[in-house]
Amino acid sequence: MKKILLIAVLLTKFCAFSQIIPNNGAIESTPAYFALKNARIVVSPSETIENATLLIKDSKIISVGKLTRIPKDAVIIDCKGKTILPAFIELNSDIGLPKIKRGEYTGRQQYESNKKGAYHWNESIHPEINANAIYSGDAKSNKELVEKGFGFALTHQKNGISRGQGAFVSLTDGKESLLTIEDLNSFYSFQKGASRQSYPSSQMGAIALLRQSFYDADWYKANSENKNVSFDNLLQQLNGNKFFETSDKFEIIRANKIAEEFNLKFTYFGSGNEYEILDQISSVNSTIILPINFPKPYDVENPYISRQIPLSDLKHWEMAPMNPMLLKHKGVNICITSTDHKTSEDFWSHLRAAIKHGLTESEALEALTTMPAITIGAEEIVGTLEAGKLASFIVYDKNPFIESAQMMESWMVGKQTIHKTSPNTNLAGEYNLSINNHKFPFEIKKKGPKFSGELTYEFTDEEKGVSDTTAKLLIINNDLDVTLQFNIHSAELDGSITLQGKANSSFGVFEGEGMLPNGEWVKWAAIKTKKTDAEKSEAATLIMADTNNRSWLPNMAYGFDSIPETTALVIKNATLWTNEEIGILNNATVVVKEGKIVYAGSGKYKIPKGSKIIDAKGKHITSGIIDEHSHIAISKGVNEGGQAISAEVRIGDVVNPDDINIYRQLSGGVTTAQLLHGSANPVGGQSALIKLKWGHTADEMIVDRADGFIKFALGENVKQSRSSNSIRFPQTRMGVEQLYYDGFLRAREYEKEWSAYRLNTKLSKPRKDLELETLVEILQGKRFVTCHSYVQSEINMLMHVADSMGFNINTFTHILEGYKVADKMVKHGVGGSTFSDWWAYKYEVNDAIPYNAAIMSKQGVVVAINSDDAEMGRRLNQEAAKGIKYGGMTEIEAWKMVTLNPAKLLHIDDQMGSLKEGKDADIVIWSDNPLSINAKVEYTIVDGQILYSQEKNAELRKRNQQEKARIISKMLADETPKLEKKRFIKKKKGHFHCNTLGEELSTEENHH
Amino acid sequence: MKQILILTSLFIAFSSFGQKTSNILLKNGFLHVGNGETIESALIGIKDGKIELIKNSLAYTYTASEWDTVIDLKGQHVYPGFVAPNSTLGITEIDAVRATRDYDEVGLFNPHVRSQIAFNVESKVISTVRTNGVLISQATPRGGIISGTSAIMKLDGWNWEDATISPNDGIHLNWPSSISGGGWWAEPAPKSKNKDYDKQKDRISNFFEMASAYANTTKNEKKEARLEAMRACFNGDKRVYIHADELQQLLDAIEFAKHFKLKSPVIVGGYDAHLITAQLVDAEIPVMIVRPHSLPENEEDDIDLPYKLASLLQKGGVSFCIQNQGDMEAMNARNIPFLAGTAKAYGLTEEEAIRAVSLSSCEILGIDAKYGSVEKGKSATLFVSKGNALDMRTNNVTLSLIDGKFVNLENSQSILYKKYSKKYQ
Repeated sequence: MKKILLIAVLLTKFCAFSQIIPNNGAIESTPAYFALKNARIVVSPSETIENATLLIKDSKIISVGKLTRIPKDAVIIDCKGKTILPAFIELNSDIGLPKIKRGEYTGRQQYESNKKGAYHWNESIHPEINANAIYSGDAKSNKELVEKGFGFALTHQKNGISRGQGAFVSLTDGKESLLTIEDLNSFYSFQKGASRQSYPSSQMGAIALLRQSFYDADWYKANSENKNVSFDNLLQQLNGNKFFETSDKFEIIRANKIAEEFNLKFTYFGSGNEYEILDQISSVNSTIILPINFPKPYDVENPYISRQIPLSDLKHWEMAPMNPMLLKHKGVNICITSTDHKTSEDFWSHLRAAIKHGLTESEALEALTTMPAITIGAEEIVGTLEAGKLASFIVYDKNPFIESAQMMESWMVGKQTIHKTSPNTNLAGEYNLSINNHKFPFEIKKKGPKFSGELTYEFTDEEKGVSDTTAKLLIINNDLDVTLQFNIHSAELDGSITLQGKANSSFGVFEGEGMLPNGEWVKWAAIKTKKTDAEKSEAATLIMADTNNRSWLPNMAYGFDSIPETTALVIKNATLWTNEEIGILNNATVVVKEGKIVYAGSGKYKIPKGSKIIDAKGKHITSGIIDEHSHIAISKGVNEGGQAISAEVRIGDVVNPDDINIYRQLSGGVTTAQLLHGSANPVGGQSALIKLKWGHTADEMIVDRADGFIKFALGENVKQSRSSNSIRFPQTRMGVEQLYYDGFLRAREYEKEWSAYRLNTKLSKPRKDLELETLVEILQGKRFVTCHSYVQSEINMLMHVADSMGFNINTFTHILEGYKVADKMVKHGVGGSTFSDWWAYKYEVNDAIPYNAAIMSKQGVVVAINSDDAEMGRRLNQEAAKGIKYGGMTEIEAWKMVTLNPAKLLHIDDQMGSLKEGKDADIVIWSDNPLSINAKVEYTIVDGQILYSQEKNAELRKRNQQEKARIISKMLADETPKLEKKRFIKKKKGHFHCNTLGEELSTEENHH
Repeated sequence: MKQILILTSLFIAFSSFGQKTSNILLKNGFLHVGNGETIESALIGIKDGKIELIKNSLAYTYTASEWDTVIDLKGQHVYPGFVAPNSTLGITEIDAVRATRDYDEVGLFNPHVRSQIAFNVESKVISTVRTNGVLISQATPRGGIISGTSAIMKLDGWNWEDATISPNDGIHLNWPSSISGGGWWAEPAPKSKNKDYDKQKDRISNFFEMASAYANTTKNEKKEARLEAMRACFNGDKRVYIHADELQQLLDAIEFAKHFKLKSPVIVGGYDAHLITAQLVDAEIPVMIVRPHSLPENEEDDIDLPYKLASLLQKGGVSFCIQNQGDMEAMNARNIPFLAGTAKAYGLTEEEAIRAVSLSSCEILGIDAKYGSVEKGKSATLFVSKGNALDMRTNNVTLSLIDGKFVNLENSQSILYKKYSKKYQ
């Protein structure tokens, strides 16, 4: 059980500081008790009491219930008809903390921290920031949050990757607002924030930095002879509650992997699209704090513009309000944050939208009160209105979960504030006005924050007789104080009439006094006869999306309704490009079972039970294309360019399964791709090998049975030759060589230290270094190098470096001058993955020739043709065919350059790359010879699943169009665009002042 | 009379540029005229750089003495020289080296800036482009609102003067986008309406109003280079190439062309043109389509939309040709035959696809009287390929003529190929 201390609780008086701080004069007088009676009190998500009394003393609740005995000296407040809710708890806040300013951009890279002192080397890791020490309160922000219904906030500085400690505050002014809770709450993210340090420059870099920092913190425990303030703090914080801010659903999955690695648990600040990967999110088993700033509808009135809105955005607009419900009903613990809502009106309309979309009232309340309280270990002092807890609550005129309600009073730790009702009343409706026995029907419409109306009266024309005519109604109101003015020309009244009065909007009645054209001062009244549509629709009706509340996989164009089955397949009567010794077979068959090829040939075969039979007469069948060099499906940066060696970063950490290019590549027959780090630095990051399994999760796509690879790079990019003010080492090819030696020598030393330790664990445990560990893997032949390269000098150099360090370069990629050193490459045993005909895009490709692949291949180098380009990736068959044009390769040789050869380079040729029994069922059916310009893909099969077919594609295309049209028409019908307008104009609030209307609406007299 | 077998090596003997041409007869090749027609076994007679004779060799006996060079092309294909419209070929060499880039001038309205004089005939890149059958290009400046004036060039010559087909063929107007945002392919970002769209359109209109007023007289009080360069846009001597892709842009561009009574407007890009084929036909505006080898713009677009755009316009009756603006467009100009090949795979007929990179291009560029098809009276600008030139598997250019002169089929890359092939012998 968590023990909670609250300074105020220990003292009899309101707060500790009021005793400590010397008082000027006699102490302020306060009543002994307050009793709020006759209220509908929502004590907790599970308990609501009608006609109950809430008794409070000082800062605390004494009792709550129907039979509460009210002490004689209590001040009694009658709350008849009112609803009292416990104050909400905002967990995602930076209230009362100094704003962070980002340092000026100097145009220069910054490799060292500018923060003086014994802190972490990276400016984005600053656990030493403690909100308790820098919290100064901010009355204006407090007021904003209170108006939304909140009473407490966990506040922290939203900056950096390790952000430091938060403070729990009550939303009251003054020093007593800082509360003590025993739990230590700390904050993390993947965003480096205000830091101008070059590292990290990518999400995978941020991940690596955070992991390294956790390892370093652990090492520091035993090696703290030099004090480090950052690690002292971090170590403490790792024992407390940890909050992780995310900006996308996948970041939760990514952060959770770090949590698992270090046996931690994070609570996540979500981003609102978690419903798209519900199963994965629920398996994380963490509390998620959800934003509810649901996307605004797009302006879809212009069809030219609306065509351009991506289907994924439209789908998200429709489904986002279901996010809280879908997560909650999946069993995920959720909290709700009001972040990104400027006004209370905004926040509540979204909260009600979430309720209309299936979240129950009590679930919503729980997500705003008890769940946040439990999350931070403050459930004994806040979260409900039970006796003993802090007296922080809000009195509303109605139940705000159901309809727009007025905040009448807010009580913050026992301190009452009476709220002036904001001029937000809705006068719209149809009325009957009676003045002096005259009756006039009129209608009031709401236009933005203003009202306008039209009044009907009988007009007598000498020629035409009596007819109904209308007059414009000018309406000026300050909340319920109303002035109506209109000009009429009826038989009895002719001229301007001005009426002043008060509205009682809940009864739909106006009454007051006014002046007739003749100057007569009369009484008037108007009674509402009809409600507006908007009022009617306020009634809570459940809204369902028309998609059975399920997102597509992925939730965008061409996403699947469900994952295609892995069925047994018999593809017969086809021409088979086996890539095996038997070569090309005519009239042959491929049989697939459980994701593997069980037969490929032109003889007899068994048909597995339940097989789908595809007659491929006249078609060509090949194994799937393998793209050795791709950068698709990667989130937030393919380069970690913040350091010359970034072996610690992993593409596998940031695979993005929602990239439409996965589907597009499938349509070009690609089934496997190696996702490489970019070429910004000599040692890049670790590669990820993925199957292009559209609709699946990142983890399902990653082929983990394959050897690990890493990207190296040489030449112009790593020298940063396009940047005129780069200061990073190396700036020349000379420096590149030495950088490798330096890295590998350090790696050797590192390994020496560790092997000594492994032999004798009594030695002090060496520091774990993710970068050097990866370099050690390379030295030990456990990780393989794919190196971006162009000119022969650098190619030669790297082979020498590797030779002298005792390892082999596995693959040179690009390798456009490979033809000049093919003999040396064969000797070293390195393959080449190149472009068919690219050149002239930079100086170092001046000597590139399209005959490169043919020459290298002829010399015995294993040659692949790769894309490095999302567009070219989907027609690699055409690129392979260029091997025939340039250098006269045979068709079989050319075809292997995009299938078997890349499989060999990736060490997966035992599983992929040819049509052979036992290999993965990654199969493409082509309309023609796959090397022909006429060839089109008819089916692409990955691990036995048909993930692309022309037929299915046509179906999905049609469905995309229908879905888009459906959502756009829903958006057109949506009322919200009008609300948007209203909000926009609301900024002009100041213009409401009008000297005919005072501000006498005294809250006091109105409330009690 | 010399009877010559086609051997690439033999042509090297002929191929030094500028050599005086003789009367050449190409016989028995499969002729793709460029206008949609074919002659299975053709006689093509060339005198003084012009095509003087086109006959079916099976039905016509030629007079041997008339021709001092007769080349038998049996089993080979003859094509009109292909065209690279809207290209920076020749005005850039190495994309990443600023010193070699000559296509983007400072300023927003640069109609007076001319590409012709920056055209480098000796570009190594050009040498690798013409060897795949692309023999004509439109050297096109980039950037700003009006990028400049383009020129139509032969891809062989001693200098820009003798390489010029049309020196000031048109100005290039980059229509503002109606959408802003969108991110890039790896990190798509939400799009939104371009709030300044109307303002940006007005700016163009205002400029054209001014230029049109200036063009009303030749006795201008104040002569000005920029407005002088615009003059010919209003009498049709200069084309106005409007670079536009989105539906909104296209509709506005059509309206704009009507408003200013432009004589020969051309849409360049036209990604959404398939949606308004009827309007384009009505307005008689041709389209140079977006590079077929490009990714769809929007997530839900047909995944093969760029591949089949040509065929959609063909079906809609719109006059169009293929161009290849985009990444590495100069070096990629050599793949223009294969862009046509892809368009063929996705709906065009073989001859329609050939037309889309030859005669149609020349019609749109206004040089079809002389170039674009292998027809009597036209310039002998053509090439021969052993196999289908639209397929990389079979494209193998064995002979190439520009204005009847043999083009060197060696290039810097084939020279390196030979050099290093020797290394391993």
